Amino acid sequence: MRRYDAILPYLLLAPGLFLAAMIILMPLWQLSVLSFSDVNRFGVPRGLTGWDNYARIFADPDFYRAFWRTVVWTVGIVGGTILVAFPVALILNEDFAGRGVARVIVMLPWAMSLTMMAIVWRWALSGESGMLNSALIWAGVIERNVQWLAHGQTAFPMQIMIGILVSVPFTVTIFLGGLASIPDDLYEAARLESASAWQCFAELTWPLMRPFVNIAVVLNTIYVFNSFPIIWVTTQGGPANSTDILVTYLYRLGFRIGRMGEAAALSLLMFLFLLALTAVYVALATRKGRA
Amino acid sequence: MTINKLRLGAAALALTAATAQADTVRVTVAEYSSLTGPYFEDAAAAFEEANPGTDIQIEVVPWDVMLQKLTTDISAGANADLSIIGTRWLVDFVDEGIAAPLDDFMDDEFTGRFIDVFLSPSVFDGQTFGLPIAASARAMYYNADLFEQAGLESAPDTWEELVEAARAIDALGDDIAGFGMQGAQIETDVYFYYAFWAFGGELVQEDGTSGLNTEAGIQAAQLYLDLLNEGLTQEGVTSMTREDVQNLFKEGRVGMMITAPFLATQIRNEVPDLNFGVAAIPAGPDGDRGTYGVTDSIIMFENSQNKDTAWAFLDFIFTTEWRARFTGGEGFLPVQTAVAAMPEFADDPVLAEFAALLPEARFAPVIAGWEEIAERTSVALQTIYLGQGDIEEPLTAAAADINPILGAN
Repeated sequence: MRRYDAILPYLLLAPGLFLAAMIILMPLWQLSVLSFSDVNRFGVPRGLTGWDNYARIFADPDFYRAFWRTVVWTVGIVGGTILVAFPVALILNEDFAGRGVARVIVMLPWAMSLTMMAIVWRWALSGESGMLNSALIWAGVIERNVQWLAHGQTAFPMQIMIGILVSVPFTVTIFLGGLASIPDDLYEAARLESASAWQCFAELTWPLMRPFVNIAVVLNTIYVFNSFPIIWVTTQGGPANSTDILVTYLYRLGFRIGRMGEAAALSLLMFLFLLALTAVYVALATRKGRA
Repeated sequence: MTINKLRLGAAALALTAATAQADTVRVTVAEYSSLTGPYFEDAAAAFEEANPGTDIQIEVVPWDVMLQKLTTDISAGANADLSIIGTRWLVDFVDEGIAAPLDDFMDDEFTGRFIDVFLSPSVFDGQTFGLPIAASARAMYYNADLFEQAGLESAPDTWEELVEAARAIDALGDDIAGFGMQGAQIETDVYFYYAFWAFGGELVQEDGTSGLNTEAGIQAAQLYLDLLNEGLTQEGVTSMTREDVQNLFKEGRVGMMITAPFLATQIRNEVPDLNFGVAAIPAGPDGDRGTYGVTDSIIMFENSQNKDTAWAFLDFIFTTEWRARFTGGEGFLPVQTAVAAMPEFADDPVLAEFAALLPEARFAPVIAGWEEIAERTSVALQTIYLGQGDIEEPLTAAAADINPILGAN
């Protein structure tokens, strides 16, 4: 009887695990094979080549540039999103007239596809007829049109900003869930002890929200690191590769230039990097949580 | 009730089986405009009616993702029977044995339908691997009203005159640019070749190396950079795709630009009041000039299970009637003698100007890995246009990347 209890959970999990393995491990296996093969432009392998594909990626200066830009991109968007989403969630958690409407407005962008969002922003950022330029000129901030997408120095910060905007709704949702789970009597007790609003936040809200912040960081990092549409739609990684991140570099490598073997190697590397990053973060976060 | 449902199911099954057995030919076509899909659907319907038992399935794919779709389809063995491809990709398809030779199907009558210059890019070692479904060349469009306002009498014939004309037009207003310049995305390299060829440049030199960093390349890049620095182009060049510049031209905000015949079709449909002219691409100091000739080919896949029906469909859409409808609707150049002779094409002044340029047309060199060369060249040009350094260094770096692709060192 007891032995039966011990295997039962695994038995119940088995079908799900099997499906997940088929969906995740099969492509991973195929990718690994491709990454060690000489692959033609149409993805047909022509024999093994060892580490050639990896060596060629590490010899490409564009790869390093794209890598560091991806770090800036991910840290910028994930950090920015947390900074924006936290106060927004705190406000939406308060009781005020029109809270329902405010929540809907904050969540609404979530209902739109990322690609559509990016296309709208491409129009808004257009140097000649873009809404952003019109608005800024009207407000007296700038005197002449700024060509936002013509230079990496202006295009990339704008792309990060779009990234933050589209990540906020999801993150606010996580935070609202977290805030709802904090019992009100904790705050009542704190107020009885004459704690200030800041003390309530620093001693109660923030520590109790830590697990939710951790989830938001991990999930957003995974989404943002691999996020393709914003950059592809607005600049395709240009001009002169100045807004290229790893995933756009990967797409060009595979589908424009036709180096499928190198593309397979790069996507494996990206997967491993993300896996390691997430594992380290989760380990750190849980350790702190216990202390 | 249940029995009825079962019967229905059985009938449906039988029906599916019947369709699967029929002569099914899948065709992947590129979306040139909103007319492309309906055109091929109509052609398929007409063909099916004339050939009972056949089933032509059309898949319309936007150009941007065409190569990606073909790549994934082919690697999965799920490709169609026929597909439109850029002729510049054809050599890769032939090298890998993906495209089937068509010579066994073609007779003299069929070959005779085509204007030779358009068929020849699809011929490798005497074998024909594709048929030209679309053809275009490039010429210079100019805004006749802006020219008149600026007191210019005719379109510039040399790049030197073009700079003068651009100055005169640019002075007309803040919102108006003399020369429209493309600096982003697909064909950024081609926009540079117009000047590069005029200065006597060759993409691949006789010794097999890239000609990008030769004297001609440096002079052409210098010319464009000067136009840019003097403010004679529209702003934000490095974010401007060909379509962006075309839109500015349609708004009457660009004096001159170089592009394909389909801009004339678009202008007639969208801004019929725009007074424009078409002229040859300006010549260089030694009288050299070159336009870019482009064809797209329709190919048959080697792994097609239904080659005879696929060929019958090809034969059908390459009849004069269906060709004329496609060519006229999309604004391409006629690739068949009989179509070119039709009054609607022969008497069209814009098409006549393009056709006159054809003897000087250069097609993308038939090189495996051409897309990568185009990519490297575009990045080097963007670097120059952004003013991030001198001209020679990015061109030399790009040439160094390109030479191994060309098989030279």
